[in-house]
Amino acid sequence: MATASENRMTPGKIIAFSLVGLWLVIAAFPFLWTFWGSFKVQADFFSKADWTNAIWGTNTIAETGSAYTGQGYFGAWITEEFWQNVINSGIVVFFTVVISLTFGTLGGYALARSGFRYAFWLLMAALVFRAMPHITLVSGYLLPFFEWNIWGHLPTTIIVLVAINQPFTLWMLHSFFLNIPKDMDESAMVDGCTRFQAFWHVIVPVMWPGVITTGLFSFLLAYNDFTVTAMLLSAENETIIPAINSFLGTTQVEGKVMYAVAAVVSATAPLFVLILFFQRQIVSGLTAGAVKG
Amino acid sequence: MAEIQLRNIGKRWGGFVGVENFDLTIADKEFLVLLGPSGCGKTTTMRMIAGLEDATEGEIVIDGKVVNDLDPKERDVAMVFQSYALYPNKTVYENIRFPLKVRRIDPSTHDERVRRASAMVELDDFLHRRPAELSGGQRQRVALARAIVREPNVFLMDEPLSNLDAKLRVSTRAQIKNLSHELAVTTIYVTHDQVEAMTLADRVVIMKQGVVQQVGTPFEIYDRPANTFVAGFIGNPAMNLIEGDISKSAFRAENVEILGLSVPDKKCVLGFRAEDASVVASGGQINAPIYTMELLGDSTMVSVRIGGALVSVKADKGYRAEIGDVVSISVPTEQCHLFDADTGERIDSRGQN
Repeated sequence: MATASENRMTPGKIIAFSLVGLWLVIAAFPFLWTFWGSFKVQADFFSKADWTNAIWGTNTIAETGSAYTGQGYFGAWITEEFWQNVINSGIVVFFTVVISLTFGTLGGYALARSGFRYAFWLLMAALVFRAMPHITLVSGYLLPFFEWNIWGHLPTTIIVLVAINQPFTLWMLHSFFLNIPKDMDESAMVDGCTRFQAFWHVIVPVMWPGVITTGLFSFLLAYNDFTVTAMLLSAENETIIPAINSFLGTTQVEGKVMYAVAAVVSATAPLFVLILFFQRQIVSGLTAGAVKG
Repeated sequence: MAEIQLRNIGKRWGGFVGVENFDLTIADKEFLVLLGPSGCGKTTTMRMIAGLEDATEGEIVIDGKVVNDLDPKERDVAMVFQSYALYPNKTVYENIRFPLKVRRIDPSTHDERVRRASAMVELDDFLHRRPAELSGGQRQRVALARAIVREPNVFLMDEPLSNLDAKLRVSTRAQIKNLSHELAVTTIYVTHDQVEAMTLADRVVIMKQGVVQQVGTPFEIYDRPANTFVAGFIGNPAMNLIEGDISKSAFRAENVEILGLSVPDKKCVLGFRAEDASVVASGGQINAPIYTMELLGDSTMVSVRIGGALVSVKADKGYRAEIGDVVSISVPTEQCHLFDADTGERIDSRGQN
């Protein structure tokens, strides 16, 4: 319950609130700017004459008769078949997350419960691979992929993304499993479970926040990846991010760059939805272990 | 119903010895308590019986069957963990039901069995709650109910009371004693609390650094400790132990002279309990200045220092003296215990039975 003293505005509070407000504006501005501009024509959003055109849409009104236009979206989604890239991204992201999580939970659990020294060294090796630049993996793979004739296909990219992501998921899930007392599996095993049943019926249900958090980070890695997807996918199999890049590369044609702007907005929207939807699990996952439960 | 035989079992981790040469037969329906300070191997012994730890030596036999290579689930034991290890995402009802479910016991009997088990530990009103919404004592009772619901051959309890506050511990202890009597199942109970051991056990096993020190009924352990470790561990206060020499049937140390102990001359340790000795006006076997006095309500504890060791005697609650006054203590010869000074082993003498 708020008391009178809590509601009173002190100078300190006013400064604090205005700082937060200022930060919010600075942080959100690029997104808002892009979102607003995506409904204008190129002459406005990239206006050399007057930057305020992007706000008022002077040229947009002149060209289309309205201050807002869906040309960019129409061009990206319909003309350039951006939906195909969205489907590709969906496939890549889905399988990367599912495979990463499957191996990550099993491996993280095994490493967390193993009493052997090599568990530590496996984790150290994973850390080294995690630290390597993504491009090193790709450059090493390129030639064999060409020779085996598997370059350009989605499954190839999925495998490489899983390989890049796996050390991280292993680490993350390993530390989540460490937070779950060993007594819990042992109790389940005495109650009548096999090791795997104990894992599945007792440990995994407790692990959901950790799985969701790790899954989300894997999702973001696969969704936002440019290095791997740009190098390993042929044009017809491109995912969202390289597709946006190729829109941007075609500035010679008037209006094409607006396809990129519209595509960027389209690519960002699902992220907002996702984070809003899972924010409770993410927070409880990120802070797991901070407070003894 | 099951008899458990532990045939010279041992546990090593590399060079470290956790448990050594544990050899004991636990009778059907017996309540056995493993007692000892932390790190003495009592929990390891229990975990070997449960199958959570492999025995590196020896055989474990439950109900006539060697179980060394069986998984925990195949041994038909139930265990209560120190941390309770409840499943946080399940309700109390589902927690208790879990062993029935994973063992594929006829589902039509589940409800009745869960309710019978929960009634035994008085949890009927909490079945729909989750463990996080329960107090420590209630969680402990859920763990108990989960253990008894299956009616296993053997109960294993690993310090089940150590996370409860003192008052709750007493009432839960009584409940466990009553339950084990009612269910008549072989029970092995691990604790470092001697009061729990004395009140619950049919037999007590005292361990130290992986080695069994003494096995006996609570009475035997209290009245005839096998060595100085047991003597110093059991009883509150623990037995007074004085180092000294025996010569010509008399035990002598600084300020101490106790006659009538017919054992061979040698260095030894003499022990007696605070409540067996008394403060007398004069002519006691121990005459020393008072080191400290503690009022306990029903009595007064008078302590003196002899050769570095604190020796306590229970006096009348009305007894008053100043610290530094010389007090005379009478120790009945037949209440004295003698231990070898080097090995710590008990020396039996005349005048004891």
